[in-house]
Amino acid sequence: MAKRPSQPSWRRRDRLWGYFFVAPQTVGMAVFVLLPFCVGLVLSFTNWDGLGPVHWIGLANFTTELRDPLFFKAIENTLLIALITVPVGLTLAVIAATALEHVRGRSVYLTFLFLPVVTSSIAVSLIWEQLLQQQGPISTVIAKVFRISPPDWLNNPDLILIAVCAVIIWSSLGLNVVIFLAGLKTIPPNVIEAARVDGAGPVRVFWRIKLPLLSPVMFFSTVVAVISSFQTFDIVYVLTANGGPDNGARTMVYHIYDLGFLENEFGLSSAAAVILFVMTLLVTGVQFALQGRFVHYER
Amino acid sequence: MRSIWHTRRMASLTAVAALGLCTLAACSGGDGGTVAGKVTITWTTWGDPQELTAFKAFDTQFMKTHPTINVVFDPVADYNDYTAKLLIELSSHTAPDVFYVGDDQIGKFVSTGQLEPLNAILASSKQISASLFAPGLFGAAVSKGTYYGVPTDCNPDAFWYDKTALKAAGITQDPATLAAEGKWTIPVFLAMVDKLHAHGLNGAAFWNYWSTPYSWISQYGGQVYNSAGQFVLPSDPVSVHALQVMAQYFQDKSFLVADTLPSNQPDTMFLQHKLGFYVQGRYTISTIDQGGDPGNYDVAPWPSASGKITASGVATAYLAINKSTQHMSAAATFLQAYTDAQGQTLRLAGGGNAVPSIRGTSADSVVYGYPAHASSLLTMRSLGFEDFAPEAAVPGLPVAMAAIYLNLYQGKVSMSAALSQLTALAAKES
Repeated sequence: MAKRPSQPSWRRRDRLWGYFFVAPQTVGMAVFVLLPFCVGLVLSFTNWDGLGPVHWIGLANFTTELRDPLFFKAIENTLLIALITVPVGLTLAVIAATALEHVRGRSVYLTFLFLPVVTSSIAVSLIWEQLLQQQGPISTVIAKVFRISPPDWLNNPDLILIAVCAVIIWSSLGLNVVIFLAGLKTIPPNVIEAARVDGAGPVRVFWRIKLPLLSPVMFFSTVVAVISSFQTFDIVYVLTANGGPDNGARTMVYHIYDLGFLENEFGLSSAAAVILFVMTLLVTGVQFALQGRFVHYER
Repeated sequence: MRSIWHTRRMASLTAVAALGLCTLAACSGGDGGTVAGKVTITWTTWGDPQELTAFKAFDTQFMKTHPTINVVFDPVADYNDYTAKLLIELSSHTAPDVFYVGDDQIGKFVSTGQLEPLNAILASSKQISASLFAPGLFGAAVSKGTYYGVPTDCNPDAFWYDKTALKAAGITQDPATLAAEGKWTIPVFLAMVDKLHAHGLNGAAFWNYWSTPYSWISQYGGQVYNSAGQFVLPSDPVSVHALQVMAQYFQDKSFLVADTLPSNQPDTMFLQHKLGFYVQGRYTISTIDQGGDPGNYDVAPWPSASGKITASGVATAYLAINKSTQHMSAAATFLQAYTDAQGQTLRLAGGGNAVPSIRGTSADSVVYGYPAHASSLLTMRSLGFEDFAPEAAVPGLPVAMAAIYLNLYQGKVSMSAALSQLTALAAKES
């Protein structure tokens, strides 16, 4: 058996330096991500109120959750938020990015669009809480234009989810526009030029050239937006009391918070978190499995 | 030479990193401890800016009169956030020395041994002897004769009423006067509500929490929990009848559930003379102040079957001492000063939004003056009751029960279905 050649000392040193520099991040990930995840996983099989002893109860928390109508309400709302905010938000972002691509003073528009992204979501939600009041400007305008009674966005179980979706779309629009603008910049100008020479108009160029070449960016944004919509919490927390009227805006993460920190059912809460994790994993897996059909990578 | 330089540089970086970690560890807190001959204790509660200002003023006064104790105040604005933070701090043994506990949490903290028993402190102190407090206020803070929390102050649920609205409905009798004469009965009240409703006004607005159904049932002489802590409401015909009457009035929209209205609407309706009775605590005064016509409003107790003032719900919070505190003596001194008559006067005087929990002392003076029949608040406090311990001791149970009552008020479930759900929930959680 041939003796393995020893590594030169500079390579060993480099490797040590590498470990040294990734150590803080690794420790941070282990302490703040991996450890809580493992603890959460273990807690999901226990009955713990946050203060008393921990009792191992097997799968009981999962069966309890799967029989809880509130849990299904939370799943339904979470999926609805994803189904509304992701297509609407991304479509608006693509339209805005395309419109801004050749606009003079684009940075000014981008700054305004990006402001909600860098503003605290709590501050954003507090402002929207005022805007969405029945006596607020939005309801007043709608009432005057359509001659109906002013909609009570935050207290009507049929409207609360629409209000939450609107705030999510508004607050995430800027980030998606910036990502799509960056994607548009990567499209080689000669491809567009060639299409134009062949007689393609702006609409055809958009549908046949830009959109297909933008599909990898769109795929990335879709994956991120779906995961982010599954994690909706802060807006619901500020805009609603206890998940909204008739739990009309109770999301999975709000449900997890409610079980853990309001009802002190940390086992149940962890079980719901594990289910959400599996749900997210499955949906993301499906997205990756389908990307071959819809995403065009330049070769 | 190069490798030595590398090793040294790595050692330096490691040292800097270690120093950084040590600094971070030092920043992460630790207990209050003793600084320059002073014992430092930390305490916490929740509250709006006005309340927090009053608490800070108390701290300043306390440190003046107790120069050996330094007080660090670490408040949280929102009650839910406060509860979550306190729970985490208690489970990680980093909770403050003294803290407020809500009436819906104290049972859990007592049963898990987080709180210092206060019998010795209450027995040794003339200022905060347990007998000075209204007995019904201790609720789940007392377990098997051991006290774990002292009611800081309280808020009896009371019938605040708008004289203009009553007059507009053709009502000539004054509820507070009727109560003083022992004639404030349920039929009299319901007749007033009917008149208000007939005139297109709203009869009464209640908040959807335990006090609403249980105070109402109490006025009929019904029973919710028996002495063994069992939920007996469904098997008590008087209680069921009382609940049925209440549900009917809610379903007729003669009674309103304040929680289901847009925020501020109950206040607005009350100030615009569209609501006859508004059932809530002494903080109503701040709402009335916004209307600029304080003489138009007064307060009465719950109308009862007999016409005499009968026990009704009183909301309170407790001040408790962390069982793991390293500064028990200073914490006990703070608790005593905070909850005694002088402490309550200091916190509640000048626009205070609650009623003293301690009875028959100079602190009662903060209530007198407004409204005209404010003294009925003191009677309600003395007779009143906190949420029943078997319910209050289970986090989330009062909210879950309230959700079922709300469905009943809104006609979403029948009386029999609501009673079945309540029974099942009470049995499951206890």
